[in-house]
Amino acid sequence: MINKILIIASFFLAVSLNGKAQEIGFKPVNNSTEFKNKINLLTSNTQTIQSDFVQEKHLSFLSENIISKGKFIFKAPNQLRWEYSEPFVYIIVFNNKNIYIKDDGKVSTFDTQSNKMFSEINYMMIGTIQGSLFNDSERFTVKYFESDKHYLLELEPKMAEMKSMLKSIKIFIDKTDNSVSSIKMIETSDDYTSIEFVKRKLNLPVENEKFNIQK
Amino acid sequence: MRNLIFKNNVSDFSGSFNRKQKGLKALVLLVPIIFILSGCSNPYKNLTKTEYPEKNTSIIPYSLPHTDRTIIYKADMSFYKNTFGGLLIIKKTEINKYRIALTTQFGLKIFDFELYQGKLNVVSCIDQLNKKMIIKTFEEDFNLLLMQESFNQIIEMQNTDQNQKIWQLKSGKFSTYFTQNNESVSIDNMSKRKRNSEKISVGLYDYKKEIPGEIVLQHSNIKFKMNLKLIQQ
Repeated sequence: MINKILIIASFFLAVSLNGKAQEIGFKPVNNSTEFKNKINLLTSNTQTIQSDFVQEKHLSFLSENIISKGKFIFKAPNQLRWEYSEPFVYIIVFNNKNIYIKDDGKVSTFDTQSNKMFSEINYMMIGTIQGSLFNDSERFTVKYFESDKHYLLELEPKMAEMKSMLKSIKIFIDKTDNSVSSIKMIETSDDYTSIEFVKRKLNLPVENEKFNIQK
Repeated sequence: MRNLIFKNNVSDFSGSFNRKQKGLKALVLLVPIIFILSGCSNPYKNLTKTEYPEKNTSIIPYSLPHTDRTIIYKADMSFYKNTFGGLLIIKKTEINKYRIALTTQFGLKIFDFELYQGKLNVVSCIDQLNKKMIIKTFEEDFNLLLMQESFNQIIEMQNTDQNQKIWQLKSGKFSTYFTQNNESVSIDNMSKRKRNSEKISVGLYDYKKEIPGEIVLQHSNIKFKMNLKLIQQ
């Protein structure tokens, strides 16, 4: 039963943001079909992404947000290394069918094929990083917005289990390089987690070795 | 005569059997009792005790319940074969009132509790953990860690053999013992006991600015363990 927690936990790695209020400076996208085609083309052209990230957790009872920092590396179609350096070292790697978690120097391995939840996390993480999650009309209702500099995909969960925890996921796409520049996961309580991707590098070579943390 | 011998033999046999059986019974009964007694012996029993007239826990050198700072621990918890963890945030919001939240590394809240005057209210909690027995366990644990349990007496003891100072908060058949080794600046160990048997033990290590750098909480009767490492205060 509680095994699921870790899974659900990891699962929201890439997701987060702010609920019902429309983001300031954003207006609805006029032609969403054209927009979707454009994003699909861009995600299919993205072979690798490397980026630093800054994660902020907002809790209503705290006056200051909790900050975590780290790096991520993505390699199409399904390799992802998500590494926290602050406030402590924690690495999660999605490598095809396997998930590896390194915590306190110990590596745990999970097989996504034998574990439906991990398979779900894998799917969600990579879908969010790539921005392709908006295609999943079974799981999300999607609204499209844009500002001068960004596209915004606002995803509202449809499934009961996710809906009980998350109000919405906002994915911001930078118009200059068409990559995901930040995400925000807004919980039902309106507490949220935002993750900003900085120093993004697209389509540079990435060695497969980066997704092997077993040693 | 034959009958008599026969009767005597039977009687001897049955007497011998009964004695053996009684001895065996006694042994069967005694073994667990010896184990129980050795497991339940109260290490505080023979210490000299002084009762405090005031019921004020501030005499106990333990600052975690009193600080107004936001305390964040890296938490690893195991409940039977399941493990979970993330960041445990503890914030005193008023006197005798705390918010305690556990989030995953990725930010999602696992639970958000408010502890007020010893009662744990669930602000939010994922379904998998939102069970009466689990919530009661968390209530007991956080009441212990934040010294919010109700009590009738405070008793101070000196363990000269071990160079320890001990405070006992007593409430009916329950007692919580806070032990400070003489060379320590703060409490090194907590032990919640029901009569003579230990229910929860807590080790507190590596203090940083009066806040425990590491906390290991363990239950004796259920397989629940909490490991906390301080990352922010």
